[in-house]
Amino acid sequence: MPTDRAPDPAGTPALSLRGVGKRYGDTVALHDVSLDIAEGEIVGLLGHNGAGKSTLMSLTAGLLRPDTGQVQVCGEPVARARHRLGLAPQDLGVYPPLTVRQNLCFFAELAGLRGRDVQRRTDDVAEPLGLATLLDRRVARLSGGEQRRVHTAVALLHRPRLLLLDEPTAGVDVETRTRLIDFVRDLAATGTAVCYSTHYLAEVEALDADVAVLDHGRLIAKGSLQELVRSHGGGWVELTFTGAPPEARLPWPVTADGDTLRVRADQPHLALPEILAALGDGTSRLTNLNVVRPSLESVFLHLTGRRYTAQDDSPAGPSSTGPRDTPDGSPANGPRTTETVPHA
Amino acid sequence: MRDGSLGRVVALVRQDCRLLLRDPAPLIVRTVMPLLIMVFMQPLFRAALRADGESDANGAEQGVPGMAVMFLFFLVNIVGFAVFREHGWNTWDRLRAAGARTGELVAGRVVTPLLVALLQLAAVFGAGVLLFDLRVRGSWAALLVVAVPLSLCVVMVGMALTAVCRTIAQLSVLANLLALFFAGLGGALAPHATLPDWTRPLAPGVPSYWAMRGFTTVILDGGGVEDVLVPAAALCAFAVGLTALTLVFFRADQRKLSWS
Repeated sequence: MPTDRAPDPAGTPALSLRGVGKRYGDTVALHDVSLDIAEGEIVGLLGHNGAGKSTLMSLTAGLLRPDTGQVQVCGEPVARARHRLGLAPQDLGVYPPLTVRQNLCFFAELAGLRGRDVQRRTDDVAEPLGLATLLDRRVARLSGGEQRRVHTAVALLHRPRLLLLDEPTAGVDVETRTRLIDFVRDLAATGTAVCYSTHYLAEVEALDADVAVLDHGRLIAKGSLQELVRSHGGGWVELTFTGAPPEARLPWPVTADGDTLRVRADQPHLALPEILAALGDGTSRLTNLNVVRPSLESVFLHLTGRRYTAQDDSPAGPSSTGPRDTPDGSPANGPRTTETVPHA
Repeated sequence: MRDGSLGRVVALVRQDCRLLLRDPAPLIVRTVMPLLIMVFMQPLFRAALRADGESDANGAEQGVPGMAVMFLFFLVNIVGFAVFREHGWNTWDRLRAAGARTGELVAGRVVTPLLVALLQLAAVFGAGVLLFDLRVRGSWAALLVVAVPLSLCVVMVGMALTAVCRTIAQLSVLANLLALFFAGLGGALAPHATLPDWTRPLAPGVPSYWAMRGFTTVILDGGGVEDVLVPAAALCAFAVGLTALTLVFFRADQRKLSWS
């Protein structure tokens, strides 16, 4: 096997970014990002579209070179440590005309595996990802979720010490999502460091991952869920109106953003009656009401000033509780209340 | 080769072969097309050769190598498509992330088309003997001495074009243009002696000229290996130049569009 699994006695992080910057012309994709991921740690990488998540993944995988700073994988420059990392990019990257087995065997050989190891590792990754019965099917004939599982399996063949998963559950069904999350947790338990970029906050909560938040190319927060909720995670009441929001005198911080009024409160569900009373006649123009209890979503809202779900999640996403969604999927056409799952 | 480099190249070559075998139709058509054209063009080639002093020529002596060379250069498209489809399938970055270096990616994409080119030449020449009564007066080994560097040349034209083209449409247009230009100037479409005078000083500047000179030396003049060393060396020089061009301009991190 090309990759040894012995833990690093010196405690070298599986991934270490130091002052990493990347520009595309005049656009700053990443600015002075420093981040460590230890062996066995899962870090959920969050950020709006264009925040720099995929750029960070590409830099870590050695597909791009940073303009500034250093990227090290297991203590080595990434160019010398590619055999230690596995990448499943955002876009599906498999060979559609070939079978699942041919795809997996090829990438196993490319990773340096030979002979029986190729077959053994193919079987090893196929089983937990539910691909064992699909090995002789052509990838082009698989469903989108099955193809996504093949795509992810490719990154795991050589037992990488650092696994980079860039939005691995984009467009997949619930079964595949659940299977992938369970598998990632199992991998981390065996010492694999995982950098998991996602638009679904509930996945990060399900993974019990540490969280790194990117905003406009800057890493603006990193810590455990509990730490971030404690330091940034007050709750919110979010009220959307037809036209400009009415003025309201309240004992909590209030911000207006277009047709939306946000009230920050530690216990937003208890503050709700007082908020509605303060709005007076303005409630007649209320079209949506959203209570965001202290959670990763409220952390994100506090840090970036924007909801994570409204622009970035698909309606099918597990944490899609934004103003445009209703529990039954019907279009928003009147005042409603939605509530995120409270952080445990 | 260092730290598994050879293994990665072998894996890439095998993968190329798998993909080729999944869809061999384009290659089969490209092999059949020169033979099909020969059916219609043989009388013209016969007349041209007889006018040039080859009184017992049947036309296959010009037609078979000429069409073989011309359609071999259409293989340039296939070489380029192999790279562009990796971008279309988003597998290119996965190859790079898996540790494949630029040189390995190029090497891995050269070997299979090289074998295909040789196979195509063998098929066309073989069918020329069986179907069109091609008579080779010289040594078959000498034909091979010309065919190998010619095939390498064709593959490296494909890689060089792939290096400089960003879209598959650019590649396709340039590849077809070059194939026709090389065929015309190199004497694959008509014996060199029958071409306009202005083409004569330009002809040695294209690889097809040296290929036709080598093949004609063997087929019509009865030449042996030693007689085709100059054309073979010229083709090798082209291949080296094209390889250098590829290595200078080929950037693994350049995103290519598999559609236009």
